[in-house]
Amino acid sequence: MAKIFRPATVASLFATGFLDFARNDRRRVAALLVVAGIFASAIVVGAAENIPPKPAGYFTDYAGVVSKEAALRFNEKLAQFERDTSNQVLVAVFRKMESDSSIEDYTRRVAEAWGVGQKDRRNGAVLFVFVENRNMFLQVGYGLEGALPDVTAFDITERHIKPRFRNNDYEGGLAAGIDLICKAIRGEYKGTGRTKAEGENRSSGGGSGLLIFLVCLAIFLFAIRRGRRRRGYGYSGMGGPFIGGWSGGGWSGGSSSGGGGFSGFSGGGGSFGGGGAGSSW
Amino acid sequence: MNKALGCVGVLVLLVLVLAMSGCGSYNRLVKLDQEVNKKWADVQSVYQRRADLIPNLVNTVAGAANFEKSTLTEVTNARASVGQVKLDPSKAPTDAAELEKFQQAQGQLSTALSRLLLVTENYPQLRATEAFQNLQVQLEGTENRISVERNNFNGAVQAYNTVVRSFPTNLLAGMFGFPPRPFFTAQPGADKAPEVKFDFNRAPLTPAPAATP
Repeated sequence: MAKIFRPATVASLFATGFLDFARNDRRRVAALLVVAGIFASAIVVGAAENIPPKPAGYFTDYAGVVSKEAALRFNEKLAQFERDTSNQVLVAVFRKMESDSSIEDYTRRVAEAWGVGQKDRRNGAVLFVFVENRNMFLQVGYGLEGALPDVTAFDITERHIKPRFRNNDYEGGLAAGIDLICKAIRGEYKGTGRTKAEGENRSSGGGSGLLIFLVCLAIFLFAIRRGRRRRGYGYSGMGGPFIGGWSGGGWSGGSSSGGGGFSGFSGGGGSFGGGGAGSSW
Repeated sequence: MNKALGCVGVLVLLVLVLAMSGCGSYNRLVKLDQEVNKKWADVQSVYQRRADLIPNLVNTVAGAANFEKSTLTEVTNARASVGQVKLDPSKAPTDAAELEKFQQAQGQLSTALSRLLLVTENYPQLRATEAFQNLQVQLEGTENRISVERNNFNGAVQAYNTVVRSFPTNLLAGMFGFPPRPFFTAQPGADKAPEVKFDFNRAPLTPAPAATP
């Protein structure tokens, strides 16, 4: 933190300040050592791990264990879930865990870095799967710890997902997991009909400002929709991340179920306090 | 005459500037102090959560056929001594020795608990029960939460102490009673709780290799 230097205060008060410093010197040094230790350990931990960037969608399969159709279906289901309940539930399937820390510690930091969940409700949950490690962890944000306590999270991973993963049925396991997570937390909060990426929460401030914003949004969305229909590709979600990771080119209109294209994810700034549970298979 | 007026003007300006910067610093101190106290309350609540789990755990484990009683009494005793060093949950401690005592008691409980969990590895029937598995999950989650909240607390204390100790805010802090706050420190060996892994596939171990020195 930059200190502003005020000559006026220095003239009269410097001497007392210095005396104060000298008196507290021993305790000061001890505290400095502690802080230095914290920093040093942070550096050591940081060196051995990789926090992946925020995913573009709700369901991301970096390991390629589920079909494209299923991935799209899951993604839409989770996006719709946020519209309905404002809960942000993410599923991220990685090939390998890139960290030396324990899975519960690492995944908590990742979930926190992605900001999953709305900021005021802290209602995010992320299911992390590391295929090669045969390990998974369901991170539960502060605001969902009541609806999805550790025991329930454990029940979902251990007794519902794990048996299917053991039979190499990743799609089935993830489908069951998503269903159960959503079922557990459905009643907790009410949604706004839009996801964070679709720009609802940004304008909770003034009345007329909100109206203008909504009108602009409607016009903008309308324009996008028309543009997409004409040219056959486009984005969904305002200011959301780039969409279309799998097929490279873009979307041909009305390709699959749902027909709405891909819903992008944008984190609301939720936080995680170590809730959740995991299993290895 | 004009000169005197000028002097007075400068002085007034000086006082104003000082007062304003003083107010800003004071408000910042209050805010950081609140943050530290809030994080302290969070720490207390997760420790309390762990303490609340213990009777359940002890009952479940004690139900197992001829369970080794000494580890159980150790946990019960450690929990009792934790109850005795209760600190004010709404105000973060200012005395390093006080926090140290608190931490020591909690560390003893952590050690006793991890020893108990190691011993249960010799009781596969107990470990297979759903009641035990659920307790274990809760306990594990609580340990995770403890480490998270302790880190958050340390972060808040660090931000607070930085302001309290730097010049010129330290003068204000001294005047209005914002003492520097102690941190949680990692205890060598004793505080291994977050490292306890509940690995079902591991072969039974002899109890507690990293026990108290």
